[in-house]
Amino acid sequence: MRLFPDLAIRTLCAVASTALLSAILAGPAAAQGQVTVYCSILEEQCREGSALFEKATGIKVLMVRKSTGETYATIKAESANPKGDVWWGGPGEAHLQAAEEGLTEEYKSPMLPQLYDWAVRHAEVSRFRTTGIYLGALGFGINTEVLKARNIPEPKCWADLLDPKFKDEVQLADPNSSGTAYTLLATIVQLFGEDKGFDYLKGLHKNISQYTKSGIAPINALKLGETGVGIGFIHDIMTQKLAGAPVKAIAPCEGTGYETGSVSLIKGGKGTDAGRKFVDFALGVEAQSINNRLKIYSMPSNREVVIPPEAPDFKSMKFIAYDTAKYGAAETRTRLLKKWGDEVKSLPR
Amino acid sequence: MTKAPASVEFRNVTKAYGAVVAVDDVSFVIPPANLVTLLGPSGCGKTTSLRMIAGLEMSTKGQIFIGDKDVTHLSAADRDVSMVFQSYALFPHMSVLDNAAYGPSVQGKPKEQAREMAMDKLKMLGLDGMVNRLPSELSGGQQQRVAIARALVLEPQVLLFDEPLSNLDAKLRRRVREEIRELQLRLNLTVAYVTHDQEEALAVSDKVIVMSNSRIAQVGSPRELYEEPASLFVADFVGDSNLLDGEIVGEINGNARVRMGTSEVELPKGNAKSGPVKVMVRPNAVKLHRTQPAEAALKARVGKASYIGKHMEYTIETAVGELFVVDAVRPDAWKTGDDVFVVFDRSMVKLLLA
Amino acid sequence: MRKRALLWVAVALAALVLAPWYMEPADGSVPGFWLTRVINPLESALALGFGGRLWLLLALVPALAALKPGEDVAAARWLTACGLIGLALVLAQGFLIGLKGWNLDMLSAFGSGPTQGGMGTGGFLVLAAFLMLTCAGLAGQGWCRGDFFVVSAIGWVIGLIVLFVFMPVLNILASAFQDNAGHLMPALFWQKFSDASIWGLGCVTSGTACGVAWNTVFLGILVGLSSTILGTAFALIALRTSFPAKGALKLLAILPIITPPFVIGLALILIFGRSGAVSTFLFQWFGIPPSRWIYGLPGVFIAQTLAFTPAAYLVMLGVVQGISPTLEEAAQTLRAKPFTIFATLTWPLMRPGLANSFLLGFVESLADFGNPLVLGGNFEVLSTKIFFAVVGAATDQGRAAVLSIVLLSFTMMAFAAQQLWVGRKVYTTISGKGDAGLQIPLSRRVEWGAYFLAVPWGLFTIAVYLLIFYASAVKTIGRDYTFTLQHYVTAFNIESGANGLLFSGSAWPSFFATVKIAAIAAPLTAAIGLLTAYLLARQSFAGKRAFEFGTLLSFAIPGTVVGVSYILAFNVPPIEITGTMLILVICFIFRNMPVGVRAGIASLSQIDKSLDEASFTLGASALTTVRRVILPLIKPAILASLVYAFVRAMTAVSAVIFLVSAEYNLATIYIVGRVEAGEHGLAIAYSATLIVVMALAIYLINLLIGERKIGRRGAAPAPSAPTATPVPAA
Repeated sequence: MRLFPDLAIRTLCAVASTALLSAILAGPAAAQGQVTVYCSILEEQCREGSALFEKATGIKVLMVRKSTGETYATIKAESANPKGDVWWGGPGEAHLQAAEEGLTEEYKSPMLPQLYDWAVRHAEVSRFRTTGIYLGALGFGINTEVLKARNIPEPKCWADLLDPKFKDEVQLADPNSSGTAYTLLATIVQLFGEDKGFDYLKGLHKNISQYTKSGIAPINALKLGETGVGIGFIHDIMTQKLAGAPVKAIAPCEGTGYETGSVSLIKGGKGTDAGRKFVDFALGVEAQSINNRLKIYSMPSNREVVIPPEAPDFKSMKFIAYDTAKYGAAETRTRLLKKWGDEVKSLPR
Repeated sequence: MTKAPASVEFRNVTKAYGAVVAVDDVSFVIPPANLVTLLGPSGCGKTTSLRMIAGLEMSTKGQIFIGDKDVTHLSAADRDVSMVFQSYALFPHMSVLDNAAYGPSVQGKPKEQAREMAMDKLKMLGLDGMVNRLPSELSGGQQQRVAIARALVLEPQVLLFDEPLSNLDAKLRRRVREEIRELQLRLNLTVAYVTHDQEEALAVSDKVIVMSNSRIAQVGSPRELYEEPASLFVADFVGDSNLLDGEIVGEINGNARVRMGTSEVELPKGNAKSGPVKVMVRPNAVKLHRTQPAEAALKARVGKASYIGKHMEYTIETAVGELFVVDAVRPDAWKTGDDVFVVFDRSMVKLLLA
Repeated sequence: MRKRALLWVAVALAALVLAPWYMEPADGSVPGFWLTRVINPLESALALGFGGRLWLLLALVPALAALKPGEDVAAARWLTACGLIGLALVLAQGFLIGLKGWNLDMLSAFGSGPTQGGMGTGGFLVLAAFLMLTCAGLAGQGWCRGDFFVVSAIGWVIGLIVLFVFMPVLNILASAFQDNAGHLMPALFWQKFSDASIWGLGCVTSGTACGVAWNTVFLGILVGLSSTILGTAFALIALRTSFPAKGALKLLAILPIITPPFVIGLALILIFGRSGAVSTFLFQWFGIPPSRWIYGLPGVFIAQTLAFTPAAYLVMLGVVQGISPTLEEAAQTLRAKPFTIFATLTWPLMRPGLANSFLLGFVESLADFGNPLVLGGNFEVLSTKIFFAVVGAATDQGRAAVLSIVLLSFTMMAFAAQQLWVGRKVYTTISGKGDAGLQIPLSRRVEWGAYFLAVPWGLFTIAVYLLIFYASAVKTIGRDYTFTLQHYVTAFNIESGANGLLFSGSAWPSFFATVKIAAIAAPLTAAIGLLTAYLLARQSFAGKRAFEFGTLLSFAIPGTVVGVSYILAFNVPPIEITGTMLILVICFIFRNMPVGVRAGIASLSQIDKSLDEASFTLGASALTTVRRVILPLIKPAILASLVYAFVRAMTAVSAVIFLVSAEYNLATIYIVGRVEAGEHGLAIAYSATLIVVMALAIYLINLLIGERKIGRRGAAPAPSAPTATPVPAA
């Protein structure tokens, strides 16, 4: 019979491959000794942070780096059976949204007394489902070479950007896709009032060369000289400047808004206890000093972190009292974004 | 051969593709060690029947037996049947030897043995000089032999041919068909053979199954088909024939009196009873006379005379219609315009229901 | 049939008794040694069943019932029934009893219900065994001419596609009809669907932008056409001309396939951007002021054409090669001029290939999101819109689903149009009759036309790649052109420590994971793709069309949506595989399989069916026939699908962004992170490394597959890959 050996071989193959698949199945088992961190800051920050935490506590860190939006979408999709324990970094609005939707767990860290008021306020707004870890000031960067070549004076204020000289020289992300750009939208509205704010945005629209998809894209374009002005976070612009790009960060004279970088404990994770320890760690001096070493100059939330002299002088900047509670709420956000889409973006340039 | 040849039997086999019926309630038997031809015009269901023997198509209804075994639900690979395809279906990426050795090697025979078996048959077909060539490097006739050798290597109980000669030239066709017949007799094989060429069918077969419109029109030996066609279709399709209108007007000594045009002839009755009939006259059943012969004869005139070499062909104009006639070559051959008298050789004339 | 049944009952019973039913031990402890994931009687269904999880014992009933002897059709029906009941029972318990009790509200009348985790080896083996029993029964009833291999192949492929394509995708598309809280709201669908931002015609009627739908289709058609034309030109040159630098040109034709996302976009910016090389040159020498024309349709079009021409080339290569020279010789003897032959014969015979390659280009353009992201400017397409509907500041999964449905309907239309155009004509050109023709040279006109298209494009490709490698080895491209290997050191540093080599570079973990996953996924993808192609091209069974469309579904749906749908579907029992390598492998298999399917169908349609039949009548099973007759004859398709599967697994971004885990992070995700951080040097250096690795892999695949030899005179000394050129064998 030729049928049999042939058949036996086939069966064997099938069984073997199924077994192989099961072997590949071996997933990361949840154990007490580890914590899964979704990290939305830069790769090095994430890596340094987990190494420090592992050294300090002996708890193994499984770190996954994704952008803020991707992390939020992941946590939401996983909510039936959460796989992560901590969400570290990323603008406060996204963390607030997750808090609002019950994706994150309430946790009053013992580190709270060490924090600046704005960070504590942020925690209170979320009913302690998230806490501020750094503050990033919004502003714009200029490429000095491009502006010199086009003979444009250095802008100092938001209003300067309305000058027709800047036509096609300003890049801003699309607030529908970028949290950074939404922060700008909310900032402008709070700074000038809603009507005047939208008038400003309409005026700015005339000078925008491109609404980029991602929030960091205008800064990257700035670095490459693809645009003269890019709107974004001052610390991101500083990073490029320190890397040698001919750029300069400007804190607008009218005052500006900011993002509150946050950390949250994910609800229903398998390593919640370890997760709490990680949140404490993220709020502590050690973790918040990483940025100094990496020359990332956002403002830490822990009062005891030493701010290096080369960091931007946050005290000299004019900040608005950013109302995270209002502008972080889904309702306001949806309304403003729709209004921006209908009244600003659809205008011809 | 080690294996005894097997019979093939169809019992009420039907094959339908949706609403289209390709083979309709067909039953027949191919006796062991016989060469049986499935003959018919294209679209009659003969190839479908052959493919059902092979297991390449599954019957919709009915049963198929090879020997005593019910193979109706067996796949092609599990039937002891080989097939020679119209297109030869030689594997283009394998050498002649590998093509021939394919059968035994996929049956799990060791490589050496498979090659030996292949060489055996390749030698038999005179192909041993070209075993390492690729099919594309062979002539049409050589490819045909490789296809046959490949089918024979497994010494199947039944060997199937699907229009094997259709890609060959006329001369080669005659030679190959004789080779196939000789091979079948020598190896004592059961062969089912599909063709639409009636001459080919008559030449090689023990038995011919004539198919028409998805059904069997007649089964019989070549001689029976030629001389005793059961229907107008068979009479027309098998061999050349003249079909004339007539009417049975009476009976004499068990023979029918048939009126054709103005004259009356006496013919074997067959299964015709009375009323209008078709009179089938084979071209070689017509005898031409210069003068009125003793028996009843039709008056006629030679319309066209052609010299073919081995015989003469005439078109004879009669009152009942034109007749196609074959006659031996004679010094005093008929010429166009000659007046003749026509007499039918009664043993080769048949009455058929109109 | 009996033996098969016994074998698979034995497998089912063994799995029920020996293999752990769940992925993780029922008590929540940590699984130890890897072997205990395969064999662990204490965690088997039997042990757990008698330990209180009575429902796990249900599977025993159909497994034992299948032992009823018999060889006739009635026995086959019985076997089928046992298999189906077994499948239904195992699936039902898996879907009804979840992590937190009953998964169905209706069952809450019976209390909160028992809980269980995701299935493991035992569960999957038992499912497989029941599937095989069903197939054995169906084969015994004479399905597919009684060939068990064919029936079980259909069973497997359909089962897998239902599980890993239909289930997750339909599940997420359903959210198009729900509000964000999950309530059914059909009206909302219409509201989102008819949005002016999708269908607006502002670019025609006023100065504003057009709807994304129009942008997307327009771009897709352009890219489908351009990649097909260029791919055909390259294929014709490679096979039908005596172009001197053929080897180099063939290399260039497939080079872009091995390029990680974003890199082409970045390179184009560095060349054509406002501060790019060409713009600066034009400004300095001709005073043409630099502009941003590259951002928008032109840039995306160039980048996508560059990226998708290789696929078209690979498809066309197989097709042009498969055209029987005899036909062209026949035309030649009928006094047809070379151009007439090309126009009336070669071109029409290439139709299935042309249609397939256009479809590939169109669908890929629709699904691509890396290039529009980098180069899109204000030119918006569906894929990016969908991405930001999921991850953007205003997340709205329902909107993403609506946009996906729009995208999907375009793909469907393209598919239908392709079917219409190729029609029912027969394109068999490899028949069982040895075919000894000489391939006639191309007509001058066509030949020069091909050169005219391919040569400049090849030169352009060279420029792009030179720039990539150059940019990876200077400090900051665009600013500081000092030579440095710093980027490579950061990514791929290796130190020799006390315990041997230490891979301290930051890219190593993602690099190893990526290569490993791609190496596992590629052969599986090609195998399933080609098997599916074989079923579609050679077998007839009910629901074939739906099946064929299903294979395209996961390819046509934007990766972002697939990624989220995979989390939603496979993060909870019974199939809980998020965070494992398996989910990445499966995602790659089902996203990249369609290339194998398309290439396989195109290739198979050229091979005369009587070759299969000859093999059957010689006693070969369908499996043997596939192995010994079909596979050697479709080598170009195997090559295309293997290469494509490997490369796509190495370069995919959008779907896997949601599926990567700490242990299995992927190279592209790392690169995206770098691009985000503005570290272009590091991103490009990593990409350049991946390009080299993929080139090497393609070369190896080439060696492994070898050439198809069908002994056409003159075609013989095919310019096979000499050392170090990753060119697919002609």
